Amino acid sequence: MVREVSESCVDSLLTEMVSCYCNRFYVNKPELAARRIEAIGYQVGHQLSERYTMERPRFTDHLEAIKFICKDFWSELFKKQIDNLKTNHRGTFVLQDNKFRWLARMSVDPSTDKVSSVEDNTSPTAENKAAQSMSMHLYFPCGIIRGALSNLGIPCAVSADISNLPACSFVVRIKAG
Amino acid sequence: MQFFGGSEISPSPPAPTASGNNGHMMYVFNRNGVCLLYREWNRPLRTLNAQQDHKLMFGLLFSLKSLTAKMDPTSAAEKGNLGMPQLPGQGCSFHSFRTNTYKLSFMESPSGIKIILVTHPRTGDLRESLKYIYNLYVEYVVKNPLYTPGSPIRCELFNTTLDQYVRGIA
Repeated sequence: MVREVSESCVDSLLTEMVSCYCNRFYVNKPELAARRIEAIGYQVGHQLSERYTMERPRFTDHLEAIKFICKDFWSELFKKQIDNLKTNHRGTFVLQDNKFRWLARMSVDPSTDKVSSVEDNTSPTAENKAAQSMSMHLYFPCGIIRGALSNLGIPCAVSADISNLPACSFVVRIKAG
Repeated sequence: MQFFGGSEISPSPPAPTASGNNGHMMYVFNRNGVCLLYREWNRPLRTLNAQQDHKLMFGLLFSLKSLTAKMDPTSAAEKGNLGMPQLPGQGCSFHSFRTNTYKLSFMESPSGIKIILVTHPRTGDLRESLKYIYNLYVEYVVKNPLYTPGSPIRCELFNTTLDQYVRGIA
């Protein structure tokens, strides 16, 4: 039996969570806010991977586990699979989602493009602010991936790259040893 | 066609019947009279400055709603409109007026968001289109994590989807 929750509800909750941590709890400490949000994601990913691997045998190697994240795990979370997986065969994987669901409705002020063409001291900070607020929303999914993988026995570090929206890439670096 | 990541709740838009740019301009106000969005596609004549223009528009709608409710001869609406936002279509609500040079279509949501669209005079009933635009507002503005409610709308995605849609309205 599958129980469902409204997607608008989850989206609003995530937005509010990021906003709370950035604007209220850790107002001038974005690194702390980021760490807390990532830690929440870690717990969530940990529990979710427990659920979604219930009926499966253990994974034979790291690549199998990453493929599970790309296919089944991502489908459970976002109703689609990761579009592109790249690896350097030395412990680094890049998971690319061409239309990441939690970024689908995020858009910035179009006038910042015009501002940057004028000589203005404040223009770089305006663009940086926009980029920073967007990246705050990515700590949660990064934490989810890290939590899921660590529950499967793979400690790693996960970061996100949004250089070409709406595609979003998650870079997973598996800790050696 | 996939809208908004496949949500089936959003109504599909009325089929576009004419090509070309038929919209003149559009306003979005919130409950407090703040002009959240003013978009202009084709407005050769501008009689007032922007501030006065917005204030006049908001005041006009407020008075028109009040007038239409008070002059209602039927008993279809239970009581007079006391200024509370109602569901679109509930009570006595005005939805458009037409002059020889333009038609103004209006919609107010239960949350007090007013959408005004000014088009050429031979435009048909735009109520379904305005509902669709409201849906666009919900999807791309309200659900945008970077938007603060009550502030002017500056969302690229909303602007582009809106322009695209209005271009297709008869």
